[in-house]
Amino acid sequence: MNVPSKLIPSSPEYVGGKLVTFLPHAWTPMRGLLEYVLLRPVLLYDFIIAFTVVEAVFGLFMILGFATRLSGSVLALLSWGIGAAAGWLGSTCVDEWQIAVMEGSAAAMFALTGSRWFSLDQLLSSKFSGGIRLGKIRLSLW
Amino acid sequence: MAMDRASLVAVLMTLIVTGITLGLYQLNFQGFTHLTNYSKVPEYDLTGTRLYENGTLLLQVARVAGPDTYGGFIVEVQLLYPNGTTLYSWNSRLLGDIPSADIKNAIPLHPTKSDGYALVVPLGQNSTVVLQVPFHVSPGLYVVRVFDVDGQQSAYGRAFQVEVEVRS
Repeated sequence: MNVPSKLIPSSPEYVGGKLVTFLPHAWTPMRGLLEYVLLRPVLLYDFIIAFTVVEAVFGLFMILGFATRLSGSVLALLSWGIGAAAGWLGSTCVDEWQIAVMEGSAAAMFALTGSRWFSLDQLLSSKFSGGIRLGKIRLSLW
Repeated sequence: MAMDRASLVAVLMTLIVTGITLGLYQLNFQGFTHLTNYSKVPEYDLTGTRLYENGTLLLQVARVAGPDTYGGFIVEVQLLYPNGTTLYSWNSRLLGDIPSADIKNAIPLHPTKSDGYALVVPLGQNSTVVLQVPFHVSPGLYVVRVFDVDGQQSAYGRAFQVEVEVRS
């Protein structure tokens, strides 16, 4: 961890505080969610950890080409979620709005196309063609 | 000539993603009507401010726009008669020295505080600041106005002021 104080709630560098700055322009469902989380410090800490883990895990899946359709869908939802919460920040640092539109559309594309060459999905589909079977339901993860 | 299913999905997704992109552009920055950068200058909303006969002013100040990493520094709070004459004002020396017990923050993180030179209101925070006029205020209408350190008292079409009524 580069900056440990980012995870200390009493520190001014606490990542949770960043969510306060999203509040004024966040859209209605996101704003309520942010307010709810910000008023509950324990939940806020868990939320930060969970959000980071989901981003890291599905980002890694995307790099490896594992379950590309699933990770594409999750990443698209994350990106558009950030767009709804903090998209207005785009015009200063070309940041959150760009995440929403760039990553969102790229992730949506991967969710629809899946991946081919140099991917774990390609390897897995040669062994288990047609995806995973859960009883009668077929999940076409690759 | 029938379009195959993949092309249809591609066209549909193109429309959806383009719609989200341009929709965000308009909703977040009014990009098609009047492109606005909401991170440029601080904006304050004083809705909910109250003034009492005994001279207690509960200044309700919300930072609703401006830089997310810095400021909002309030250096002057004015209490005015509706005709614009000043009844009382708090300067930066007074605002920079408000005890934290007199500031109630809506959200515990990023609290509003005095830094010795100004009242610092972080973006997204909504605080009630207790200020005291050192004399009784007669019932009637008054205007409370705040000034940012850059000298502005309005931003993005909103004046940093509110009308308050003192009831007898």
